[in-house]
Amino acid sequence: MRKHLLALGATLVLTPCLMAQKIGVINSMSGPEAPIGENITNGIKLAEEDLKKKGINLQLVWEDDTGKPQISMSAMEKLATRENVVGVVGPYTSACSNAVAKLAEKYHVPLLIPAAAKEEITRQGLAHVFRMNAPADKYASSLIDAAASLGKPKTIAFIYENTDFGTSTSKTAKDYVATKGIQVVADVSYPKGSADYRSTLAQIKSKNPDLVFMVSYVADAILLMRQSREVGLQPQAFLGAGAGFTTVEFAKERAISDNVISCTQWTDDVNWPGAKDFGARYKAKFGKEPTYHAACAYASMIIMAETAKASGGDRTKTRTALKAGKWNGIMGEVKFADYDGFTNQNNHQMLVQQIIAGKYETVLPAQFATKKAIYPFPKWK
Amino acid sequence: MAVFLQSLISGILIGGVYALIGIGLTLIFGVMRVINFAHGDILMVGMYLTYMIFTLLGIDPFVSVLITFPLMFLFGGFLQKVFINRVLDALAQNQILLTIGLGLIMSNTVMLIFTSDYKILSTSYSSATIKVGGGVSVSTPLLISFLITAAITAALYWFLLKTDTGQAIRATAQDRDAAQLMGINVKRMSIIAFGLGSALAGTAGALISPTYYIFPQVGSVFTLKAFVITVLGGMGSVVGATLGGVLIGITESMSAAYISSGWKDVVVFVLFLLVLLFKPSGLMGKSRT
Repeated sequence: MRKHLLALGATLVLTPCLMAQKIGVINSMSGPEAPIGENITNGIKLAEEDLKKKGINLQLVWEDDTGKPQISMSAMEKLATRENVVGVVGPYTSACSNAVAKLAEKYHVPLLIPAAAKEEITRQGLAHVFRMNAPADKYASSLIDAAASLGKPKTIAFIYENTDFGTSTSKTAKDYVATKGIQVVADVSYPKGSADYRSTLAQIKSKNPDLVFMVSYVADAILLMRQSREVGLQPQAFLGAGAGFTTVEFAKERAISDNVISCTQWTDDVNWPGAKDFGARYKAKFGKEPTYHAACAYASMIIMAETAKASGGDRTKTRTALKAGKWNGIMGEVKFADYDGFTNQNNHQMLVQQIIAGKYETVLPAQFATKKAIYPFPKWK
Repeated sequence: MAVFLQSLISGILIGGVYALIGIGLTLIFGVMRVINFAHGDILMVGMYLTYMIFTLLGIDPFVSVLITFPLMFLFGGFLQKVFINRVLDALAQNQILLTIGLGLIMSNTVMLIFTSDYKILSTSYSSATIKVGGGVSVSTPLLISFLITAAITAALYWFLLKTDTGQAIRATAQDRDAAQLMGINVKRMSIIAFGLGSALAGTAGALISPTYYIFPQVGSVFTLKAFVITVLGGMGSVVGATLGGVLIGITESMSAAYISSGWKDVVVFVLFLLVLLFKPSGLMGKSRT
C-alpha cells in the first residue's frame, strides 16, 4: 500500500527539480531478525525526516527480506531493474548482505550496507559495495585488546553461533589471539535455539580459561550467561561480541549480565556530532533506546541521500562521490577507504563497553570512556 | 568426571520436558492416527499463555500450569471438535495439511499480536542453581520443571490405566471400530485425547518458559524434536515417548560435551536412523503389519 502511494506520489510530481531521490531499502522487517531489523527501519525513518528538513525529499522503496538471502536477492533485482533506484541501503544480516553485494556489482547500483559484520563482504573488490560499520575483525581485535590491556590473560575459550556472523567473528578472533600469544583452549560452535548449553559450558569450565569469548544474537546471549552462572564458569572476563550482548534486554538481566564486556559501533553517550541528540529524538519518537544498528542505518541513509542528490540521481556519479566523500556525523568520521584488503570500507572506531550496575558504560578507548572497567570478573553470587 | 555428571544431569532434566512434548504427540497419534504437525505451535501458545499470565497477573510460571493445563485442554478439544474430527477418515496427506495450516495460523496470529520480538520471562529463580558437589550444579527451574513433568506423567499413567475414560481412550487407540462396537463414544475420546495432548504440550511450554525464550516461530524447533522422540519410542506408545524424550535429552547433552554443540543434532539423527534401521517400529512400538 505504502509503495503504491509512493509510486502515485512520484508520478504526480512532474517537475524534475522537485523529483524525490529514489532510494531502495532492503531490511529484515519480519522473520527471526525482525527485532533488530526494526531498529534499522526506525533509523531510516528518522533520517527521512531530517533530510526533508534539509530540503532533500526521499522516495524510499522498502523491501522485506525476512532474513533470507534468496529473498534479499530478488528484492535487489527488483530495485535495480524495475524500480530503478539510485542506490540501496541495507540489508541487515551478513548472509543477506553478502548475497546482495554481488548483484549490486552486476547491476552497477551503489549499495551501502549499514550493519553487517562479515568481513568478506567488502573484501571482494566490489566497486559498488560500501559499508558503514566496522567488520567482524574489529569486534574481535578491540575486545581482545581491551582484555589484554586490563589484565594478563593467557588462555581463551570460544563459544559461538554456527552462522556466518558467529563463525567469521570467532575465526578472526582466533587468528588475532594467535598473534597476541593467547592460547585457545576451547573452540565450540552451537546451533542457534538450543535450550541447553550446560554440558558445553561445563566442558569449557573444565579447561579453566582466562577469557570466554561469545558470539550470539539476543536470546542466546541471555541463556549462555544464565547457564554459565549455573555451571559456575568463572573466567577473568566474559567477552560478548556484538548483537546479543549489546541490547537493553540483555542489560536488564542484571543478575547475569553485569560486568560482561562487549563492544559496539555506537552509543548515545559518545561525543560524535549529533549522537546524543539522535539518541534523545529516537527515544522520544519510538519509545525505545536506539541500538547501534539504528545509528548505522541513520548515518547510511543520510550519506546515501545527500550523495544521490548531489549527483543528480545518477548511479555512476553517486558511486564516485561515495568513494571520494568524507562525512562527520553521529557515527563519527566516515570515509570509505581501501585498506588491509578491504575496499570501500569505513574504518570505524569501535567502542568497548561494560555493563556496570545494569547500564552500558563505555570503558575504552580512554577518550570516550564514561567509567573505569571492572576487571577481573567478580565471583558469581 | 564433573563434565560427565553435569552433562548427564542436565540431559535427563531437559529430556523430561522433551518427554512431555513427545507424550502429547504420541497420545494424539495413538488415538486418532493423525500426525499433529501443529504440536510445536500448540506448545508455543502455551508459552505465550504463561507469559501473559506472568506479566499481567504476576502468577509464577510453575503455579500457572494449573491455569494453562485446563485452558490448553479446552483449546485442544476445540481444535479436535471443529477441525480434526472432520478429516479423521480423509487421506493422511490431507490431515497433515490441515495440522500444518492450523500451526501456521497459530504462529502468525501470535506474531500479529505480540510481534516477532523475543520475550524473556525472568523470574527471581531463573538463574538460580543448587550445588550438588564435585563441581556439579543443577538449575533450580529445570529441576522444578522436571519434578512437575514426572508428576504429570505419573498422573497420566494412572489416568490411562485405572480410570474408565483412560481405558476407553486406550481401547480406541487399539481398535477404533471395535471400541465403537463396545459402546465407546470414540468421537468424544478423540476430543479428550487431543485435549490432553495439547494440554501436555502447553504445559511443556509453560515449564520451559522460565529457562528458555519465547518467540512465535519457536514451535518448529519442538515439532521436529517431538517427532523424533515419538518415532524413536514407537508411534502411539506413551512409555516409548517417555523413554525417547530422556534418551534424546541425554544424547544431545553428551554429544555437546564430548563432540561439539554444532554436531549434537547430527548425533541425535544418526541414533534415530540406527534405531529405525534395526527396529523400524521404534523402541517400544509394536509392528502393525
